[in-house]
This record gives sequence, C-alpha cells and structure tokens, in this order.
Amino acid sequence: MKYALLLLAITTLTPAQDLGKQGEAVFSKSCATGYCHGARGTNGGAPRLAARGFDQEFIGGTVARGIPGTAMPAFATTLSRADLTAVVAYVASLNGIASPTIAGSGGPPVPAAAKLTADAARGRTLFSDAVRGFGRCSTCHEIGGLGIPVATPIAKVPADVAALKILATPQVSTATLGAESMPALVVSKKANAVIFYDLTTPPPVLRTEASASIQTRDGSTWRHASVISAYSDAELAAILTYLRAVVKL
Amino acid sequence: MRTLAFLPLVLLPLSAQDAAVTRADWPHYGGTQFSWRYSALDQVNTSNVKNLLPAWIFQTGDYTENLGSTPIVVDGVMYLISAGARVFALDAAKGTVIWQYRYPTPRPGIAGSHSDFIQNRGVAVGDGKVIFGTKDNFVVALDQKTGHEVWKVSVDDPKQCGCNITGAPLIVKDKVIVGGNGGDQAHRGYLTAFYTKTGRAAWRWYVVPGPGEKGNETWKGDSWRFGGGAPWLTGSFDPDLNLIYWGTGNAAADFYDADRVAAGTSKSKDVNLYTASMVALDADTGKLRWYFQEVPDDVWDFDSSYEVLLMDRVVGNGSRGQMRKLLVHMNKSGLTFVFDRVTGEFLSSFNVPELSNWISGVTEDGKLVGRNEPEMGKTKNFCPSAAGAKSWNSMAYSPRTGFLYTPTNEICTDITPNDTKPTEGRFFMNGDFPMKLPPNRTTYSHVDAWDPVTGKRVWSMPYKFVLLSSVLATAGDLVFTGDPEGNFFALDARTGNKLWSFQAGAGHRGGSISYSVNGRQYIAVTTGFQQSLVGGAAVGLFPEENFRAGSTLVVFALPEGSR
Repeated sequence: MKYALLLLAITTLTPAQDLGKQGEAVFSKSCATGYCHGARGTNGGAPRLAARGFDQEFIGGTVARGIPGTAMPAFATTLSRADLTAVVAYVASLNGIASPTIAGSGGPPVPAAAKLTADAARGRTLFSDAVRGFGRCSTCHEIGGLGIPVATPIAKVPADVAALKILATPQVSTATLGAESMPALVVSKKANAVIFYDLTTPPPVLRTEASASIQTRDGSTWRHASVISAYSDAELAAILTYLRAVVKL
Repeated sequence: MRTLAFLPLVLLPLSAQDAAVTRADWPHYGGTQFSWRYSALDQVNTSNVKNLLPAWIFQTGDYTENLGSTPIVVDGVMYLISAGARVFALDAAKGTVIWQYRYPTPRPGIAGSHSDFIQNRGVAVGDGKVIFGTKDNFVVALDQKTGHEVWKVSVDDPKQCGCNITGAPLIVKDKVIVGGNGGDQAHRGYLTAFYTKTGRAAWRWYVVPGPGEKGNETWKGDSWRFGGGAPWLTGSFDPDLNLIYWGTGNAAADFYDADRVAAGTSKSKDVNLYTASMVALDADTGKLRWYFQEVPDDVWDFDSSYEVLLMDRVVGNGSRGQMRKLLVHMNKSGLTFVFDRVTGEFLSSFNVPELSNWISGVTEDGKLVGRNEPEMGKTKNFCPSAAGAKSWNSMAYSPRTGFLYTPTNEICTDITPNDTKPTEGRFFMNGDFPMKLPPNRTTYSHVDAWDPVTGKRVWSMPYKFVLLSSVLATAGDLVFTGDPEGNFFALDARTGNKLWSFQAGAGHRGGSISYSVNGRQYIAVTTGFQQSLVGGAAVGLFPEENFRAGSTLVVFALPEGSR
C-alpha cells in the first residue's frame, strides 16, 4: 500500500515535460521502430499519428487494446503503466493536446522483477538459447511465456543433472503407423483421429492420423537424455537452478 | 483469329526449358520452380485481350490486411491463402468452395516486431498436401483432398525471435523448405527443410555461420548471433543440378555496421557472410555449394531475398556464343545480377532503377564501387529506399521475347543511423528511414522490359504512384500486373503498349496467374492493398489517395463462344 501511494505521489508530481520526454523515449522504442509509425509519428509504414485530430480517449484505448486484426498490437500487457501513460500523453501532444490529463495510478502496483542469481540468469538464457537450434529446452517447454508448450508445464524440478537425464517420461508412448513405430505424446484420441506429437526428432511434430491406421501402446524407448545433448552438464545445472527459481510448486 | 501464324520477331536459340513454363496448372509460387511467372497458354493474346471479362469472383472474408498471395492451381483446383491464413480449395472454373480451413488464432509474437504483422504470400502444393507457414512460426500441412490438418510443427518461438513465416514454402522432392523473416531484428536467419510426409526436420541452414564455420570470421565479435540475413521469400530449384537457390536478407543492424564489421575491413567482398547473397544449396542436405554476396556490408537494407529466375540463354556473340545455365536475380537496390548457376560465376549486372546514389558502379567481376553510406550523426538521402526499387512482388520472364518484365519504384529515403544495442527478437534496424518522393518527377514507378543478357532496357511504361504487384507474362505476348488504384492491366510484351485495363475494386499487392480448365484459359488476380510495411509506406507517400484494402480474387476469361 505504501508502495502504491508512493507511485501515486511520483506520478502526480511528475512535470509534464518529463512525462513528454519519457513518452518520446517509449515511442521511439516501441512505436517508431522498423516499418511502424516512424520518428515523431510522421513517417513510416504504419499510419501517420501526428496532427490527426485524435482525442486522448481514442489514443489511450487504441494504445492499450490495439486494433485487432491489424499490425497494431495491444500495449496494455507489454508496457508498464507509467510507460503507457507517458506514450499516450506523447501521442496526444502530437495531436495538439497541450496538457494531456494524466491518468490516475489506481491500478495495482507493478511487482518487482524476479531477481535471479547469476547462475539462474545464465540458466534462463540457456533454456531458450537460439544457438542450440532445436536442441534447446524451449523447443518443448514453455516457461514465463517463452517456449513451445509441447510438454505439460514443468511441475517438479529434478534434483540434479543425473536425475534430469534419467527423467521418467511415462506420458511418452509408442505409436505404430504401418511398418513404422515412433515415440509419441498423445494429445487426443477421437473416434476417427488420433492427434499426437511425433518425438522421433526435435522439434516434435503434431500429427493427425486416422484412428484405424494407428496403434498406440504405453511405454517407449525414448529418453529425455537424447534431446538435451546440446548442453554440457554445467549448463544443465544452471538451467536447473533457473527452474528452481521460477517453478512454483 | 489465333495469332499462332506469327513468328516471334527474334528467333532466340532457346534450349528446351519446357519445365520452366506453366500450362494448365500453376503449380508453384513462381509458376514453376524456375520462377519465370510465365504461362505457355496463348488463348488470350494481344488481339483478343480487350474482350476479357470476369468469369468469377471470390471474397475470402478475411479483410484484416491485403490479399498478397499467389494462388496455386493443380488439376482444376485452386488453392488460395489469405493474410490471416484462411486456406481455400476452389473449383478453378467456377469459384465454388471445395473445402476451407481456418488457422486458429496465432500465439502472439513480440509487439511491433515482424511477428506482429499479418501477411501470407502463398501455399505450396505437393505430396498430396497443401503446406504453408504461419504468423506464429508454424509450418502446417493440410490434406490436399479434404483440407484436414495432417501435421504441424513449430519452426521457432515468435515470442523470442520476433520472426515468422510469410513466404510461400518450396517443395523439393520429399522435403518442404521454408524461410522466415526477422532479419530486421536481433535474429539469425535460416532455412529449414521438413519431410513432407511426416513434418520431421530434415536439415537447417543458417545464413549466418556459427563459430568454427567458414564465414563466421566475417563478423565482428558476437555480432553473428543477431546478424539477420533472414531469407524471407521463396527460392528456386534446378532438378538437373539438384540445387536450390535462395536469396538471403540484409545484415542486422540494417543501417549501422560498426558493431558487426571490424574497423579497417575491406568492403569489396565477403563481409558479414552470407547476408545479402545468392546461395546455392544441395537440395538433399542443405549444404552450401556456392554463394555470391551481392551487397557486402549491407548498410541500406538492400537485402537480396527476392525471386530467383533460372534460364538457359546464349551468352556472347556469333561463334563465341555459348549456351549457359543462367541465374538472374534482382536485389532490393534494383541491381540485377546474372550468374552461371552451375558454378556461381558472376557474368554481368545491370541497374534497373533510374535513381541510384548508393554506389557509383559495379566492376566487371561484380564488386561494388563508390559506396555512399549512411553516417552517424547525419541524415542523408538515398535512392532507392529500403522499400526497394522493386518490393518483394516478383518480376516475370518470357522465353518468347527473352525479356524480363519488372515493376520499379523511384522512391528515396532519408536515413539517420543510430547505435542502439540489440535485444533478441526486437527491431534492430538502427536507423530512421522515412520514405521520400524524389524531387522534379511526376511519375514514381514504371514497368519495364529488360534483356537480361545485354542488360538493356527495351521499353518502359511510367506510372504515377508505386507498383507493388507481381507480374505475369504469357505466350499470348501479354504482360499483366496491377496498381494500387485497383487497375489490373495487360501490356503488349514487345512494345509495352497498354491493351486492356480493368478496375478490380481494390489496390493490387499480390500476384496474378494463368491456368486452364477444360481448354478455357483463365487469368486470376488477387486484390486488396497492403496497409502496413511497404504498402503502408506507399499509403503515407500519397496521403491524398485511397489505395483500398480488401481480400478478393478476380478471375478473367474470354466470353464463352468468343474464343
């Protein structure tokens, strides 16, 4: 509560010029980039924003919610509340609104960013390290919105690297299609079709096969150790440290 | 009356490149995998094109962006994808829906990155499947007969790479090869091949080599990690050589090189490999067989990802003339290269745009000279712009005339570089680059005919705004393309004279094709102008105009009984 009050006080006392500066900074980083609105909202691939006669309510709504079905994203979830307020005020100023009303800070306080130890932070980078290609953890696991959620959310972190390598994977079964058998993670079995991830080689392939043509049985020769070989033991240990820091039991 | 009695004005000593032309079907993004966008059908020709009328019209119902794709036609069925990945199988003679598929709401990417734009340039059809890439970076295979999903595989996480797939895949034998975008972001581009049967990964080729690989030494420090180079369009395939050819994207950051090029590096050759290059890969293994970097140290966003035309032509005069297997390739700057596609040997180049100030010329062995680069702390005007002398829409080639047909825009840009540090998946262009109309002109684009062997412009038809639609050439000696005002028109392939025009109701950004069903020739064009990216920039350049969005396919034919 004290934190929220403090935020309120800061926001109320922030001079308009500072807000404008912050807004311009946010704008140049999030809105002027690439093929979007261009510097000061005047040039770019997306529509011009300066001197369009927009009112503040329209600007606020569009920035927060985006324009569905277009390239204009909803920034409500990606920008902090302070940045959101600042960028709306900035775009308002581009439209001749000299003293934009500053929205009250009635929202919930922004939680402090999770503090990770150096080892855990390294683990976080390794978890989705693009250099590993399809050999990275995020090929099959999603943590904090990053990664492809092929496996169910990680609920229990193995005690050490050895345990990670011999991880039991009872969900993986064996699918037989014609003459070929493959490790499979079954997603659904319907009357006419079986949907499963084919785990033969990373990345997993979500396949749909006619029920009549496929048999599945429990158990598989597939091993978790076979898909984490892009990492050294030390790297895997760092990844486990990261998982311990972020996976809530 | 048919015009078959007329002989071509110039008898070109052509080899039998029968596989390079389309007939009843339009099986690939570029017509065939030689990417000529040329139909051998001649029922519609210079004498009767004035009688063309709409035969059927199809509205996709997906009006979120443009209709920028190129349809595929196989055995009388058309396969069409909309910007938001609704896929339709249509009776190509009537336009009735055989099946339709709607890709579910994609996972969000990074706001403001490439992964946030809605675009799809086409499907590939083969092995009984219709295969396409998605906004959230999946490759999806549908059953060609039913439209049911067969397999689906994630190529990369759009939340991390800020990248996605907008180009049409290329099916080569038992594999489908897909590129992706993201080279304007902190991202390292690649091509990935999947088996069409199972969706399993077969190989991946990184445009930017990793540590220990040849070419990595052309990158300063760790800059290779986010070096860009994304090959975001569709390549070509020569089955005799078993090579696939692909153009690669610009180096990242686009407009600022001090973090990726070591001080004192010679820029004449091989800087930041293999960005802005033409590469030939072994179709089975994805191994690099040859490369030629067209823009060493690209600091203008002149990536080289555009279509790759494979043609056999005689090079040299008289007794010294020799049939060569050529590869013709224009990059974003409008500089067009001619290579021997067997060896990668540079043969010649020619510059298509009228306004060009980024280099002063090209040497006889293909090196750029007189580089005029963006400068820190300054704003400098460059022509052409990062929107491209030609955008990603394809040119066409007619073996009857021997000419390339290409739409060119005379648009410039003010580049102000900056040295922002990269964050993975975020835009990493390091510059403002507003588009500018060049002074003292009344027309800002033109459709030209060029002879790729002589490098000479044969004719040019000016147009007042920009041209962002692919070109179709036919054996009826017609050249078709469309403009942002909605006009779809036919030019005489030999003279450039406009023979026919039709107001299609919305601006053109996609591709036109020709095919036949039961002996009747059809010309199909996608309509609906792009409102973001390059199309959006065009809208911004001409604020008084109304380049209409939409998502409609219009199909033309000669009236029944008049053929």
